[in-house]
Formats: sequence, structure tokens, C-alpha cells
Amino acid sequence: MTALAARVDPAAQTDLAVIEAVQRFARRELHPLQTDRQGHLDPSTLEGLEALGVFGLTLPTAHGGLGAGLPLATEVVRTLAEVDRSVAVTVGLHLGLGTRALVRYGGAALQAELVPPLSTGACIAAFATTEPGAGSDLSRLATRVHSDGAWLRVSGEKAYVTNGGLAGLLTVTAASLGDPGLERGLTMLALPASAPGVGRGPEERKLGLKGSSTTGFVLDAVRVPRRFMLGEPSTGARQLEHTLSWGRTLMAAGCVGAAVAALRQARDHTALRRQFGKALEAQPVVRGQLAGAAVRCGAMQALVAHTASQTDDAALHRWSVSAKVFASEQGSQVVDTALQLHGASGYLEDTGLALMLRDMRVTRIFEGANDVLLTHAGALELQRPAGQPQAPACAGARAIAERVARRAARLRALGVRVFQRPEQLHQLGVGVVWRDAVDAGCRAVADPAWQATLCREAFAALRESERRLHPADELARVLEVSS
Amino acid sequence: MTTVADAKWEGRMIELIAEVSLMKADQIRPQHRLREDLGMDSVCSLELISMLAEEFGLDISVEEAAHVFTVDEAMAMARRHLQRGA
Repeated sequence: MTALAARVDPAAQTDLAVIEAVQRFARRELHPLQTDRQGHLDPSTLEGLEALGVFGLTLPTAHGGLGAGLPLATEVVRTLAEVDRSVAVTVGLHLGLGTRALVRYGGAALQAELVPPLSTGACIAAFATTEPGAGSDLSRLATRVHSDGAWLRVSGEKAYVTNGGLAGLLTVTAASLGDPGLERGLTMLALPASAPGVGRGPEERKLGLKGSSTTGFVLDAVRVPRRFMLGEPSTGARQLEHTLSWGRTLMAAGCVGAAVAALRQARDHTALRRQFGKALEAQPVVRGQLAGAAVRCGAMQALVAHTASQTDDAALHRWSVSAKVFASEQGSQVVDTALQLHGASGYLEDTGLALMLRDMRVTRIFEGANDVLLTHAGALELQRPAGQPQAPACAGARAIAERVARRAARLRALGVRVFQRPEQLHQLGVGVVWRDAVDAGCRAVADPAWQATLCREAFAALRESERRLHPADELARVLEVSS
Repeated sequence: MTTVADAKWEGRMIELIAEVSLMKADQIRPQHRLREDLGMDSVCSLELISMLAEEFGLDISVEEAAHVFTVDEAMAMARRHLQRGA
């Protein structure tokens, strides 16, 4: 029995004993600066994670997993990310994008065959959807799946596959053009990385997350049994949405962990460091920065927790977009503030803040680039029925919700042509993300001063997004005169 | 402005659908579902209808567009609006 198996109670989704076990492991066994320097995880780290039982956390108990849900998984990833972001990404990817589709959509026999080694960590999962020619635009996927009797044949190229170098199993998204017995549309399937025709690329050299593996894959007419298809043929778009919802939520949880750790370090430093006769933390400007970072961390944490608690697929999708964008944007700001408050020492690798900053950067890009997701969030908002906002947590939250509702009503009045105005949808998306964060944050923290500080941050962000909406002809002119 | 009597509008519609979907124009069939068959997500399908509205000068609400799920339904919606404008 692994260390976590003794502590997991699937009924109590956030089990403190599990978090404490992960925390103890992370503090004792993880060495992020060393991992960053060597550019890969030590085999002993992976063995330690296996012994801990973390790879089976969300996998079915019938096949050796612990059967936990998204709430506990986000807590575990957050806890790991407080110490080592590369480890958190490796584990989070395995639990979310790597295995979620198999757990949710895979047939019973397929799960019995594939899940046991995934539960122990003997086999690590990866998610291969992005392609060199198709990033956020999944309608451009060029990987094709063809019907071949009782088999499927998959050909294409996948890029930026996290866990690629470790992976024994790939969850692949491919498009079918409608062979006999295989409807047209997107299809997800489980693909053993050892199958003939799977070519693994070299490790990518990256800005951060150097301990986590990233490779490309070439799939050259790879044959897999038809039963490796996850769910019904051509339902991949919906499966992808659910899988990405898990992935985004777990990724956001990692942002929370890193931001909380950076803020803790900044508070310790500013309490000890004296400048101009008093502790840094006593300087009004520094206090403002610390308080701003603290409410951001609190809102991120509340938004992720609220997102992870969603049981309806559509709601999980909508909230996961807000959680991913908010946590990656605000997490980046918090880490940057923490580094700034350390002065020159923050710029040195030894404090660990430079590493946190580098590790954080990609979270605004992967699992949906934030600008794409903001436009998406705006579009989703317009599809929801217009109406009064639900009972808000406080007066500030109400004012923000009303402001976003007015903005949405103005755009709805333009009719469907508004979907040709991504800049307007993007601006609405900024409002939606802040509204959701304020709503979740102010429900979680009842203190009026805390709520007022968060609401002020939100209003400033909304005003900034409005200010940046320049007329299209003006932008064209600026680019012309600047070239 | 395009009218329902203009025989070319249906062909142009198919071309626009091909621009934002997995399919080539000659593979697109009326029964194809925008999401499952043509690989669009819900936002992408609204963007398509927005392009159709722009191209044919149609005034379509977000609510009406959100109820279009197939190529056939997109055609019927466009036909309805073109007839109103004729």
C-alpha cells in the first residue's frame, strides 16, 4: 500500500492527511534548483512519487487507483507546486490531460488493461493534441485516424507534449474524415508509446519547467486496436472539452501553489530586511504590494477550489477557463512582485524566485493561450441567457457583476456579428474572469477589507481593459508609421 | 445584397463553412453537425454564423445563432433571413 492509499477517503474529497503526506514528501525529497540545473527529474524523485502513490490519485480504485476527484487532485498539485513546479506539472499532467479521457470515456476492458500501471506510476501518461500547425485552433488538427478493419491507423505529428520523454501512454486527439465504420469528426484514443510507428522527438530546451519533460511525436501509420478509442467515434470535441477542463484546473492549482510560496517568501524577507530605519514590510508602498499579492493569492485559491467542485461538464468548462487565465496571470504578477521585493537578491537563482518566474511563464501559453481563452470566455458569456446576476457575495462583487452584465448586453445588441469582433469578446472576457474571481474570492473570505481590496484590483483591471480597446484604424495607422 | 433568388449563395455558404472546418467544400453535406462532424467548438460555430451574417448582410441574434447545430439548420436560417429581406 502506498503512503497516500492509507490516507485517502474518496468520500472526503479534500483529505488533510493526504495533503500533509504530500507536503512532507515535497519538503524532504524535492530539490527544485538542482532539478532545474540538471534539466530532468532524478529517477529517485519519480520512484519517491510512485511510492507516495500520487500517480494513482484520480484513477479508479478497481484498477489500483485511489479514486479521488478533482478537488483533492488540485490540492495535491498545489502542494507539490509550492516546492517544485516541474514535479507538480509532471504529476498534474498525468492525473488530468494524460489519463482523464481514459478514466471517463475508456471501456471497462481497456481500463482493466491500461490503468493498473498508470496507477502505480510504472507507466506515465501524456497528452498529445497540439500540432506544429494547430495550437489553440483545434479545427486545424492534421493528425488523421483511419479505419483499418478491427484496427485504427493514426498518422500525424504532435508537438509540445508534456511528459513526452517519460510517457508510456499517449492520449491522442485525431480527426477522422469518415472512413467506413468511423464517423467523421474528432476522436480521442489511447496510444501506447511503444507501438510500432511512434517516433519520439528529442527533449525540447525551454525557458522554465526544465525538470518536466517536453518532446514532440511523429505518428507514422500507428496501428491500435479499435477498442483503444476513448468513447464513441467523432465525439472527441466534447471529450476534449472535459479533459481540458481538468487540465486547466490542475494547471491553475499549480499557479496557486507557486504564488503562495512566493508570497510567503516575500513576507519573510520583507519582515527581516530593514531599509531606512524600519522593516521593509512597514513601508506603505511595500505593504500595498504585499496586500495586493495576498488578495490575488486568496482569489486564485478560491476560484480554483470553486472550479474543482463543479460536477456539471459545462459549468466545469466555463469555470476552468476563468481559473486558468486568472491563476496564470495573477500568479505571474505575484511571483514578479515577490522577486521585486527581494531587490537584487531576487534576481539571483539561489533565492528560487528566478526559477519560479521562469516556471510560471508558460502557464499563460499552454492549455489555451490566455488571449484566446479570454476571447472564448467573452463568447461563452454571450451564449448564457441574459439576466440579473446571482446574489453576489458583497456590494463590490455586485457592482463588478453588473458592469460585466452591461458590457455583455451592449455586445448582444450587435447580434451574431459580434463574433467577428474578437477584441470586444476579449475585453468582455477580462471582465468575466475578474467577476468570477471576485465572486469566488469574496464568498471564501468574508473580511470587508480583504473584499474591498480585491474589488479595487478588479475595477482597475476592468478599466485597463477598456482603456486598451483602441479603434482598429488607429492601430493600423500606428503599425504603419512604426514600420 | 444577396437574396434567396441568387443561386450562388448556397455555394458561397459552403465555402465559408469549409474555411472554418475540418472539411473541404465538396465533402460538406447538409446533415453534417457543426461540432461533431466538422470539428468546430461552440464558439467557432458562432463565428461561422457571424461570417455568414456579414457576408450576406443578415441581422441574426446571438440567441438564434446558438440554436444552429447542423449545416442544414445554418442554410435554413440564412434562407429565412434572405426571404425576409427579399
